[in-house]
Amino acid sequence: MYAATTSVALVGGEVRPVEVQVHLGAQKDLFKLSGLPDTAVREAKDRVRAAITSSGIRFPNRTVTVNLAPADLPKAGTDFDLPIALGVLAAAREIPRPARAVVVGELALDGSVRAGLASLGAAVLSARTGSPCLVASGVASQAAVVPGSRVFGVTSLADAVELLRGGEDSRSPTDPEVREEGVSEPDLADVQGQATAKRALEIAAAGGHHLLMHGPPGGGKTMLARRLPGVLPPLSDSEAVEVALIHSAAGLRRGIVTVPPFRSPHHTATRPALVGGGSGLPVPGEASLAHRGVLFLDELAEFPRAHLDTLRQPLEDGFVTIARKGVTVRFPSDFHMIGATNPCPCGYHGDSRRPCECRPTEIARYRQRISGPLLDRIDLVVKVGRVETMKVGGLEGESSQTVRDRVAAAVAFARSESTGQLNSGALAMVTRSVEVGLLTARGATRLARLARTIANLALDPTADEEHVAEALALRTEW
Amino acid sequence: MVILIDPDDDGYPVGLRDLEDPPPVHVIGHLRQASGVAVVGTRRCTRYGTGLANAFGSAIANAGWTTVSGLARGIDGHAHQGCLTSRGHAVAVLGSGVDVCYPAQHRELYDTIVREGGAIVSEYPPGTPPDRWRFPARNRLIAAMSVAVVVVEAAEQGGALITARLAAEIGRPVFVVPGDVDRAASAGCNRLLKDGAHPVLGPADLIDELGLIIGPPQTTPPAVGSPLPISGVPVEDLPDLWGVSAREALIRVGLMEIRGEARKEGGMVFPN
Repeated sequence: MYAATTSVALVGGEVRPVEVQVHLGAQKDLFKLSGLPDTAVREAKDRVRAAITSSGIRFPNRTVTVNLAPADLPKAGTDFDLPIALGVLAAAREIPRPARAVVVGELALDGSVRAGLASLGAAVLSARTGSPCLVASGVASQAAVVPGSRVFGVTSLADAVELLRGGEDSRSPTDPEVREEGVSEPDLADVQGQATAKRALEIAAAGGHHLLMHGPPGGGKTMLARRLPGVLPPLSDSEAVEVALIHSAAGLRRGIVTVPPFRSPHHTATRPALVGGGSGLPVPGEASLAHRGVLFLDELAEFPRAHLDTLRQPLEDGFVTIARKGVTVRFPSDFHMIGATNPCPCGYHGDSRRPCECRPTEIARYRQRISGPLLDRIDLVVKVGRVETMKVGGLEGESSQTVRDRVAAAVAFARSESTGQLNSGALAMVTRSVEVGLLTARGATRLARLARTIANLALDPTADEEHVAEALALRTEW
Repeated sequence: MVILIDPDDDGYPVGLRDLEDPPPVHVIGHLRQASGVAVVGTRRCTRYGTGLANAFGSAIANAGWTTVSGLARGIDGHAHQGCLTSRGHAVAVLGSGVDVCYPAQHRELYDTIVREGGAIVSEYPPGTPPDRWRFPARNRLIAAMSVAVVVVEAAEQGGALITARLAAEIGRPVFVVPGDVDRAASAGCNRLLKDGAHPVLGPADLIDELGLIIGPPQTTPPAVGSPLPISGVPVEDLPDLWGVSAREALIRVGLMEIRGEARKEGGMVFPN
């Protein structure tokens, strides 16, 4: 006797259907599971058996063979519990065959359904195929946010059985949760002074430029970086789903939140933690968790160079590819990078009040720790000085909302108009800056790119001399 | 090429004869009979000292005088640098052999001084290592070779205060730049002022004061009140300084850079 149910696996940022095939063989008390299960999946056998018994249904006294197809794709997590249980019951003719529904959920021994990490993936597959999906009731309204999905929340195995027996029409799908539109991110207005750095932040947000901040400790580098998500345009629903899926693949829960993610790995993070990896099915790293958001690398010079160099692929291509035996995974990782660093090992080089304790060779060596190829991808370099208490106050800053509106307008403007030209004066200025030795030829390309973003912020279809001049001032040497 | 000059030789630096025991000196490069002004201070300087040392070196060079210092890290190096930027005559007095560049990172500075017509001076034979105990003796040469000594930034203890004391002993005027009273790096300067040294309020003030001692400068010092202080300004302070928005300030900096009127270094903007 045979039945199959559909479930999902998260491979990279992608949702892949998994067919849960159940075969009942000769009368023998045996439970076999194949299809590259990890330990959590393998333990499903015990949970499924207990949950079925607890639900008042007799567990078939036969050899149960379960295969998770495609069998060569590594499977992880606890979400296969419910589809396996339903497959067993369908094979035993206890319930109608639920072939179409996408089913995910972890089973407790008493038969109740707990949320695994794949509920969002199930909703995405539901939207793609038009099939309904069954997820734990606790996360149903969140999964239902996926546009075009039909999500049914179930509280227990018995509840799922009842739903399948009654047919889809016996209930109506769960409504998507109502999300708060308010942004509870830290606000830019809380940062005193630092007008230049704030301007750099705005330009970085509008043009997707990577940014390096340097300055003494306590200047507010981290405070500023933490506020970038709040000035980025909010994520669309599909972008928010994409981001949440990547988090699920890493074993993290993130709702469908429109605020772009902010990730701040410590400089002791391992390479797999930064770009993804791990044995079996690769897990996304910080570079992918920051997809469509901000990757903040505090103490950039303290990161091992080899680790920073692995960020070159995502910086260049917007994704990370990880090859493992049997499976090659591509994680999207298109992020705004912000690096922050002290100017020297002691932190006070160029400070107005404290002498620097470092030898010039130490300073030079410290700066060289940030590799050239990485620096080549950073368009904006800005010094964040210590705000003197006397200067605090005065011209008070704009709110994140105000800046975000300007950034959103600039991004929309860049997409809609035939923007991106430099007028003749601006071009001459770029050429001149190379001639006088301020920039290399490659630097000139980046200068022009920066000038275009500045023009977009001014809703100006062509970049002029002023835009180039501002871009030039923000290309401080490091 | 190293030249050894005896106290009786014609080319012997005149000021050194004011010492009780004028030593023969080894010289690489060219000495001039123009009046020398020593700029000294701490090796561990703040941005305040860095900018001022540069500015003093530059102003002295612009006045047609020689800048004398000790090639050390910090104030010394920046004073030499400022002098060279204004294409002036730089003299570095070493506590090691005249052919031993110490600190080694100042190799480029050392070479530039010689190439630009300045001089490296030492009383020790070539090859002498830079032993710490030789530095106070070196300082007495710096003081004696100069008509005046400027202490830019100095903590309570250090070679700069020794130079100042030695200068006063042989009758050289000592000019001192005041600093914040709560800043350790300026504590030595403020102590000297309290003990009666001449306060000096900037490069222009120094040139005025020295004009009274050694005659007016050969050339006019650069105009005061240029849009950027000669000691440089951190990029982030410009909006406040000019009273404009960050955007406007950045545009101005970019325009000044491309016109060659200003340059950026480590987040600071300096006038050219």
